[in-house]
Amino acid sequence: MSDRRPPWSLLAPALLLVLLGVAWLLPDLDVLGLEADDDGPQADVRATLDGLGPAPLVLIGFDADLGTYAEVRPTVRTLIADLLVRDARIAFVSLTVEGRALATSEQARLRRGEANANRMLDLGFIPAAEAGLVDLTRSIRPDDDAGALAFAREVSTAGMAAFDAIIVVGGNDLGPRSWIEQVAPRIAPTPIVAITPSVLLPEVLPYVASGQLAALIGTPGDGAAYRSAAEVGSLERLVEAGGPRSLPILVGLLIAAGAMGQALVARLVGTTRSLADRDRA
Amino acid sequence: MTRPTITALVVLVGLLLLADLLVVNSALQDVAGVVVDAAILVAAGAALAAGASLVTRRLGDLWRRRGDPIGALLVVAGVAAMLVAGMRPGSSGSDDPAVQWLLAALLIPIGATLFGLLFVSTVAAARRSVAGGSREAVVLVTATTITVLLLLPLAGSIGSWLSDASGWMLGTAVASVFRGLLIGIALLGAVYAARTMLGIGSADE
Repeated sequence: MSDRRPPWSLLAPALLLVLLGVAWLLPDLDVLGLEADDDGPQADVRATLDGLGPAPLVLIGFDADLGTYAEVRPTVRTLIADLLVRDARIAFVSLTVEGRALATSEQARLRRGEANANRMLDLGFIPAAEAGLVDLTRSIRPDDDAGALAFAREVSTAGMAAFDAIIVVGGNDLGPRSWIEQVAPRIAPTPIVAITPSVLLPEVLPYVASGQLAALIGTPGDGAAYRSAAEVGSLERLVEAGGPRSLPILVGLLIAAGAMGQALVARLVGTTRSLADRDRA
Repeated sequence: MTRPTITALVVLVGLLLLADLLVVNSALQDVAGVVVDAAILVAAGAALAAGASLVTRRLGDLWRRRGDPIGALLVVAGVAAMLVAGMRPGSSGSDDPAVQWLLAALLIPIGATLFGLLFVSTVAAARRSVAGGSREAVVLVTATTITVLLLLPLAGSIGSWLSDASGWMLGTAVASVFRGLLIGIALLGAVYAARTMLGIGSADE
C-alpha cells in the first residue's frame, strides 16, 4: 500500500513546530490578549479567598495529570503564593499517581523557594481514587514526620472539618466532579475552588452554575486574568515567571482551524461537483 | 466469581455506602469504613500487581526477543531508575532529590510532550474523518472549527465578543450536550446492572 499524501504534508508537523517556535520568539502584539474579563471567574476565586478569614486552613487536592498540567501550572503556582501571602496553611493530598508526582515536585519547588515549611503539610497519596476520597472524609492521618506540626495535629484531630476551603487541581483522571460527588455531601459546607485544564470544562461548568463549586478557573484566559489580578507581594519568587503567551496560542489555533477548515471546504467542493455531475448526467 | 456475583457485590457495596451517607448510625459507619478500607487496599494491591505485571511482561519480551525490544528496555530501565532513586539506602523516598530530578527533568516534560503531540494527531484524524465522507464527522469538525475560532486570544471589543460567544458555546451548548451524555450513560449503567441482578439477558445470550 503506497502513501499517497503529498510530500509537503509529511513535513507539516516539523513546519508546525518551526512556526510555533518563531511565534514563541516574537514579541506579543497589542491586538492580542489572553486575559478574560476582570469580573469573571477570577473575581469569584478572589471573593472566595477573601471570605476565608485570617490564617485559613486550605486543603489542596492535587490530581493534575502530566499531559495537561502545563496549561494550569502558572495559575496553580500563583494561587499557592496567593494563599501563603494570606497566611493560609495548606495541606496537599493526591489520589492519582501522576497527581502525587506533580504534587511532590511542586512542594520541592516551594521548599527551594523558602516558603514557610510550618505552613505546609503533605498528606501524601491515597490510592483507590473515589474510595480514597470517601476515606479522607472519615479520617486524616498525617505522616509521623509531620506530627510535630501544630497544623498536623489540628488536621489529625478534626479531619476534614479543620479545613476552611478546598482547592481542587484537577486532571484527566480525577477532578472536581469526584470531590463534589464524594466529599461535599459528607462534610460540612466548605467552599470548593477548582483549577482545571479546559478539556474538563464541559464536565465541570454545570457545578459552577449550581453553586456546588464556589469558583472555577477552567480556561487559559481565566487563568491569565487571575494571575494578573493576584497580589502575592513578597512571594513573587514562588510565581512562575512568564505564563503562556498569546501569539503562539493564536498561531496554533489558526493552524488547527485552517487545517480543519480546508478539509471541510474540500469536502464541500467535492460534494458540489458530484451533485453538478449528477445533474448533467 | 461469576459476573452476576460481582455485580451483586458492587450493588451491595454501593447500597451500603449510600445508606451510610443518608443514615447516621455508628455500626453502619463502621461497616462502611471497613468496606472503604478494603477497597483502598485492593486498589493499592491491584496497582502494584499491574506494575509488576508490566515489568514481568517486558522482561519476558526481552528474554524471548519478541515485540519491541527498545520499548521494553526503556520501560524496565525507567522503572529500575525510579525504584533505585526512591528506595536505595539513605533515600528519602518520593522527596529524594534524585526522584525529583527524574520527575522534573524527564517524566513531566515527556508526559507534556506526548500530550502536545495530540495536536497533530487530532487535527490529522479530524481531516481524515471529513475526507472519509461521514456526515457526523462533518458536523463534529464544523462545530470544533467554530469553537476554536471563538477561542482566539484577541484583545479589544472583538476579543470581548469572542470571549462571550465562546463562553456561551462552552457553558451552554457543549456543557448541556455533555451532561446529557453523562446522564444517559448513568441510566444505561443502572439499567444494565438491574438486568444483570434480575437475570434478564438479551435475546442473543
